[in-house]
Amino acid sequence: MLRINSVNKTFNKNSLDEYAALNNINLHISQGEFVTIIGGNGAGKSTLFNAISGSILCDSGEIILGDEDITYMPEHKRASFIGRIFQDPMKGTAPNMTVGENLIISYMRSTNRNVIGVPSKKEKDYIREHLSSLNLGLENRMKTKIGLLSGGQRQAVTLVMATLVKPKLLLLDEHTAALDPVSAKTVTEITKKIVSENNITTLMITHNISSALDMGTRTIMMDSGRIVMDLKGEERKKATVQSLLAKFN
Amino acid sequence: MSLTAFIGAMELGLVYSLLAFGTYISFRILKVADLTVDGSFVLGAAASAMLTFEGMPVVGIVAALTLGAIAGVITALLQTKMGIQPILAGILTMTGLYSINLMVMGGKANIPLLNKTNIFTNAENFGVRTYKIIVLAAIITVVFIILNWFFRTLLGLSLRATGDNEDMCRASSINTDSVKVVGFALSNSIVALSGALVAQMQQSADVNMGSGMVVISFASLIIGSVIIKDNNITMGLLSVVIGSIIYRLIIALILTTNFPPSYLKLISAIVVITALSLPNLKRKMEINRMGRGRKYAKNQLS
Repeated sequence: MLRINSVNKTFNKNSLDEYAALNNINLHISQGEFVTIIGGNGAGKSTLFNAISGSILCDSGEIILGDEDITYMPEHKRASFIGRIFQDPMKGTAPNMTVGENLIISYMRSTNRNVIGVPSKKEKDYIREHLSSLNLGLENRMKTKIGLLSGGQRQAVTLVMATLVKPKLLLLDEHTAALDPVSAKTVTEITKKIVSENNITTLMITHNISSALDMGTRTIMMDSGRIVMDLKGEERKKATVQSLLAKFN
Repeated sequence: MSLTAFIGAMELGLVYSLLAFGTYISFRILKVADLTVDGSFVLGAAASAMLTFEGMPVVGIVAALTLGAIAGVITALLQTKMGIQPILAGILTMTGLYSINLMVMGGKANIPLLNKTNIFTNAENFGVRTYKIIVLAAIITVVFIILNWFFRTLLGLSLRATGDNEDMCRASSINTDSVKVVGFALSNSIVALSGALVAQMQQSADVNMGSGMVVISFASLIIGSVIIKDNNITMGLLSVVIGSIIYRLIIALILTTNFPPSYLKLISAIVVITALSLPNLKRKMEINRMGRGRKYAKNQLS
């Protein structure tokens, strides 16, 4: 599904600050896998996401999603089949537009609609139905400006926006880190539900080791731009927070 | 205020509300103060005047719409493809347009259109004094309906999202550069339409008639937003028309006194400064008040 072959990215090349953010990364992910990624600050986790989503271009190597080589595809084009959610709940939504309008934009974008098209009643109902499946009561607030929602609610809406039309790949960049514990738990539950119900191939960065093991089907650890550990199946089931923490050092 | 003065103010309020529709798109939706307006307004007036002079007033309006859009595209490309700061991009286009406008006007600074047929002349047969208002209201209704529809389409929603949160747009696969081009083209096209109608209504075009248009339109936007607070698109557009009419009525009132008209632009500038700085000043005053309250409480305790 996603094949990352010998990808390298060096920042500040040929200077004292030269720094290899991605150092010969090889990663193959199959359809429907839910991979959690852990690692210290500066390990290259976000750079990896930036390379996949196109906000930076890699120096060498290739990124193949499905049958398509996306290594040099512009960011906004990739975005129609890669969903990405950031740590900052403010980043994923347009605050002065309503909940409904935000959802309609991402829905119509992903269905490759005529730019002067207007959503039909049926499509609006579909979006509302999707939103009500979160059980947050947001379907009754379709006309509320999104800036008036809490961070957790905004993050939940962002998640729905990214998955209204099933993306080929979902990137979650510490998307619960800025939320209070209760909201974080809600968003985590919603994430699990959406990902498993739609069988979406997902990569999730987290600093919470227990949720890295608890969620998903595979866990990788990064350090200094390399993948230093790759756990799946039985081996992963045996792993504990303690055993992973030991590897951190 | 006499009835004539009132009708005059209404006419101006309506014709300049188109100008304000244009800056509503750039200033309120894309959140950029687009100074191209001062040039594209004259560009529209110049094109319209030249073609009205040749006896083709309707063609003049179509030409104004097209040329205005081109001016907007240039500003947008300077911003997006050339990476020039938004304000400077507008100033550069505006400056360049001054020469272009003179060129369009055949090197003359003023085109008089007395006794030329324009789109208002036919309406004189209505036999009412408000015939210009009827024509203008019809045009504004059409523009209003088109814009109101446009901002509900995918492109319109993308335009609003681009001004609101560019990060979100890129994550939703919106090409923000192209969207900005469309936005500035639409904005300046409507501004040029406003200029075109002003030229035909006042039966002349002047190369300097655009100076201060940005500020005048901002004053209308601000007055409108004070009166209608709800800022969804329909209400927003409506508030623009109301703001523009009220602005012209205020000016007409001022003119009934002995106040010299040369101060009008200064007043417009002061209105905009006051409105834009008021929220900030209010907050500062509140903080000061709280600070004084605390000092007072401290003195009472000791």
